[in-house]
Parts: sequence; C-alpha cells; structure tokens
Amino acid sequence: MQAFIEDFRLNFIEDGRYKYILQGLGNTLIISLLAVLVGIAIGFLVAIIRSNHDKTGHMKVANALCKIYLTVVRGTPTMIQLLIIYYVIFATVNVPKIVVAFVAFGLNSGAYVAEIVRSGIMAVDQGQFEAGRSLGLNYKQTMRYIVMPQAFKNVLPALGNEFIVLLKETSISGYIGLTDLTHGGDIIRGITYSPLLPLLAVAIIYLILVMGLSYCMGRLERRLRTNER
Amino acid sequence: MNGDTLIEVRDLHKYYGKHEVLRGIDTQICQGEVVAIIGPSGCGKSTFLRSLNLLEPPTKGQVIFEGNDITAPGTDVDKIRQKIGMVFQQFNLFANMNIRDNITLAPVKLGIMTKEQAEKRALELLERVGLPDKAEAYPAMLSGGQKQRIAIARALAMNPDVMLFDEPTSALDPEMVGEVLGIMKELARDGMTMVVVTHEMGFAREVASRVMFINEGLIQEENTPQEFFEHPKNARLQEFLSKVL
Repeated sequence: MQAFIEDFRLNFIEDGRYKYILQGLGNTLIISLLAVLVGIAIGFLVAIIRSNHDKTGHMKVANALCKIYLTVVRGTPTMIQLLIIYYVIFATVNVPKIVVAFVAFGLNSGAYVAEIVRSGIMAVDQGQFEAGRSLGLNYKQTMRYIVMPQAFKNVLPALGNEFIVLLKETSISGYIGLTDLTHGGDIIRGITYSPLLPLLAVAIIYLILVMGLSYCMGRLERRLRTNER
Repeated sequence: MNGDTLIEVRDLHKYYGKHEVLRGIDTQICQGEVVAIIGPSGCGKSTFLRSLNLLEPPTKGQVIFEGNDITAPGTDVDKIRQKIGMVFQQFNLFANMNIRDNITLAPVKLGIMTKEQAEKRALELLERVGLPDKAEAYPAMLSGGQKQRIAIARALAMNPDVMLFDEPTSALDPEMVGEVLGIMKELARDGMTMVVVTHEMGFAREVASRVMFINEGLIQEENTPQEFFEHPKNARLQEFLSKVL
C-alpha cells in the first residue's frame, strides 16, 4: 500500500504531472468531437450522393469521386493517413497540430459513416419511398421526411460503434507530436520510468469516456424508438 | 358511367432488360369508371398499374392523363402524381410518423393546404374510413386492415382525380378484407374513378364497371362484369376463371 501511494505521488502529484493527463484528455476530447462532426458531415453527404446514384442513376461523376474516396480511406491505415496529412499535405502551411488531427480523423471516419448511413438508407423498405413519390413528393422531400429519419434510426447502433472506434483511434495522435491522452500518459512514463499507473490511468479514462458515449447513444436510441409501438 | 376520358394509354411497352413485361397495351379510362384488372401472377397487371403514375416508367408508348402526355420528356411527374392516388399491397404507411402526420405530410409539404386545413381534413377522412380515434397511433400499432384504410385516407387527402389500387387486399387476413373492400365500394359509389388490380372476383363482379384480363403483357379481354364472367371468350381467361371461381 505504501509502495502504491509512493508510485501514485511520483507519477501524478510530483511537479504537477497529472497536468499531462488533463491536457491530453482535453485534446483527445476536442479532436474526437470535431472529428465526429466532420465525419458525420462527410459521411451523410457521401451516403446521400451514393444512394441518389443507385436509385436514380444521376450524379455519376460525384459517385465516382465518392467511390475513390471510400476505397483510399478504407484501404490504408489511419496512421499513414494522419502522417501523410501532417507531413505532406499540411507540410508547407502552418496549421496547429490539433487541426491536422481532427481533419485527418474526420476524413477517415467519414468513409465509415458514409457506408453505415448508406446501408441504413438501403434498409428502408422501397415501398416507403414509392409511397412518398406516389403522393407527389419529389425525391428530395421523400428522402428528407420519410427515408432519412428511418435510416438514421436504423444506423444509430452502428454509428455509436463508429464513434467509439474513432475516439480510441485518436490515441495515435502522438505520432505527429500532439499531446493527446495516450501521449500525455507516455510523457509521464518517460519521466518516471514507471509504466503501470500512467497506462492504467489512461486506460481507465478511455473506458469511462466510451461508457459515457455508449450510455448517451443508448438513450438516444430508446428515445427514437418509444413512439413506435 | 362514360364521362370524359381521364387516362388514355397508347401502345405501352415495358422491358426489364430483355424481358418484355408489357407488350403493347391500349386502353382508355373514363371519368367515374371503376376498372378491375385481373390475371395470373407475373403477367404485368401491377406493372401496368404502376406505369399509369410512372412509378414504372414505360419503355415505349404513351400515357395521356387529362389531355397531357405525361410520358413526354420534361413533364413534371410530381405535379401529375398529386392528382393520382395510389394504394399499395403492403400499405406503405410511413413508419416514422403517426397517422395524422401520414395523412397531412403531402398536402402540407406540397403547399396545397395549411397545417390546420390538412389536420381538419385528416380527421374527416379518418371518420370516413371508420378510424377517428387513430390519429395519434403509429402504423406499427394497427392491424393490416386498419393500415390499408389509413392508406386510402392518405391518398384521398390529396383530392386525387383517380385512385390506383395495387392488390389492396392481398396482404390482409381474410377477415379484414371486407372492411377495406367496403370503403372501396363507398368510394366507387361516390363517383371516384378507380383502377383496381385485384384477385377479389366478387368485388370485380359487383363494383367494377369494366373488367380487364391482362395476360402475357396484353389486355386479352375486357368487358362489362356480366359478360366478362358469364361469357368469357378468351381460352386462357376461361381456364383462369375456372380455377379462381
């Protein structure tokens, strides 16, 4: 017990080392939140373009571009994408690392969100779409009022899963020298040469974040389901 | 019975890939007529019905609705569909909204009625189909027969000039068929122009002003119900009727 207290003091209290963790946690939260927003924006856009193409045959060029984007993003490791965006694409412009990170993770997540949302759109019965069109609603109105609300409900669990993956994936931000939660723990470990507590603390914080996220998604899911039966 | 021509179909063809589902259909549907379409499965009945509001765009031929060729390029199909109500075999009520919103969505979003007018109309229509207490219910809470009655009310909310029914009772439990047919009979009595794809021979005989036998992508016989059922001329129709009657 004495040893544990000593270890705790060394890793977190001395020289205010807990601040590395706090700073890292802040960055992780900012990156994740902004990346989720970027990912949702890109994902829904791509999904709408792709399903519009599948249903109507329009938007051939946009659909082809989306397919290239999906193939490249899903076919290469996230870390390589992060490094390319940092060292190649943003090499000559002075952009804060945190911007690089959320752009990279957002671009990455968007590809997965796109396919999740597209699967949700396809899962909505074709009859719902036809009923909307038969009343005289146009394609956009039918998608907006009838198909998308149902698709969104369908994909919530998968979307929640994607957000969890994204949150944990930000732990590679250290590779571009950004102090996220994982990197914050690493800094302490580098100073104290005591791996157990910093790693444990980092793991527990991730776990709490993910549990909180799951809880929120679960509540949202239930709220959307209650009016159905 | 024979008012002005409402829909005229000229040499309608529909291909799915190489397969020709409709092989040249010509007919006219007049104001106030109730046309029942019968025929074996997969013969093109539903495809024909669905091409009347261009849910299935024809490969060749013309559909002329109220004097306008709606198959011509540049036609505002959405505008035309506002005047053509459709009821589906699978009801297709919007699962994400309650019954009132199902009925008011199109008239409100298309700017035909204000929200208040549409809601008042929805209640009238619910009264008419015998479900005045279901405005707040969701589709998943209703029986098949109730869903189909709501679907009819939803189509009527647009004040269409014609109603298309695509096997409206085929997905229902037998004991619910009557309630839906009852409402359709009332509609017919009120003078609504109706085109009904159906397997309900009793309904065709009793309510229709004309019965059409579609087989292998062609209208092989059409006549008044009396003649159609008593004295069928086409050999395939005779065989078909002997099996279903």
